Amino acid sequence: MPEPVSPTAPSPAPTGAGPGRLLVWLYGVFTVAAGARSAVQISTGFGDAPVAYLLSALAAAVYAVMTVTLARGGPTARRISWAGAVLELTGVLAVGTVSFLAPDAFPDATVWSHFGSGYVCIPLALPIAGLLWLRRTGAPDAAPAGSR
Amino acid sequence: MRDGISLTLIVLSLLVAGWGALTCALNRPAGRSHLVAGAAVEAVTLVQLAVGIAAVAGGDPDAKAMFLLYLLGCALLPPAAGFLALVERTRWGSAVVAVAGLLLPVLVVRLQQIWDGAGA
Repeated sequence: MPEPVSPTAPSPAPTGAGPGRLLVWLYGVFTVAAGARSAVQISTGFGDAPVAYLLSALAAAVYAVMTVTLARGGPTARRISWAGAVLELTGVLAVGTVSFLAPDAFPDATVWSHFGSGYVCIPLALPIAGLLWLRRTGAPDAAPAGSR
Repeated sequence: MRDGISLTLIVLSLLVAGWGALTCALNRPAGRSHLVAGAAVEAVTLVQLAVGIAAVAGGDPDAKAMFLLYLLGCALLPPAAGFLALVERTRWGSAVVAVAGLLLPVLVVRLQQIWDGAGA
């Protein structure tokens, strides 16, 4: 795999320490919460609201990836974190909007319904905090990883 | 008994949250005091776990799955927070404790809602 960062370039600050530890903690909690919830829902009544339950499972998967990549840090993990946070923000904005415009689309709530208001809007705040944190810990030359 | 456990947990957790927030504001890492307080919370969650499991024994597996997961979540939250708080030797370790102290009451309230709703 090609290594885009030359060995002499200043490496970005670790993403899993300091304030990042709080992010890893919240992502970890939400991984377990969303994962357990979707696992129970899918195994006991998948037919009731398949789209909602699959979205909860997707959210859990994204949270799991974010927990690991933020905790690990490093160029590759940072790039995956960027993509994960963007996907997460897109998901919570899309599902949040649809849940208000067309409530019938989701017979049962997902983690991202109503912008995560069932979870004190933490699902909306997490990706924003994650993106800000990635930007802050990134060295100036690490910016292209986010802008592609 | 059940309400007593819930109330104890909520009050203890909020005290721990306040203590964590205070030490975070004072720019201090989590220390022995947080560990002792966390252990006290953990002890109550284990009592809650035992009482909860005994209460739903023999019930419908589907109905009690969510309930048991919340019980387990309550018991796993303090050690997980403690681990991160002790690894992070800055004020952010205290922040992890504060957030954990706010999350646990949410879990306890949800637990009660499931219990009341399911009539287990």
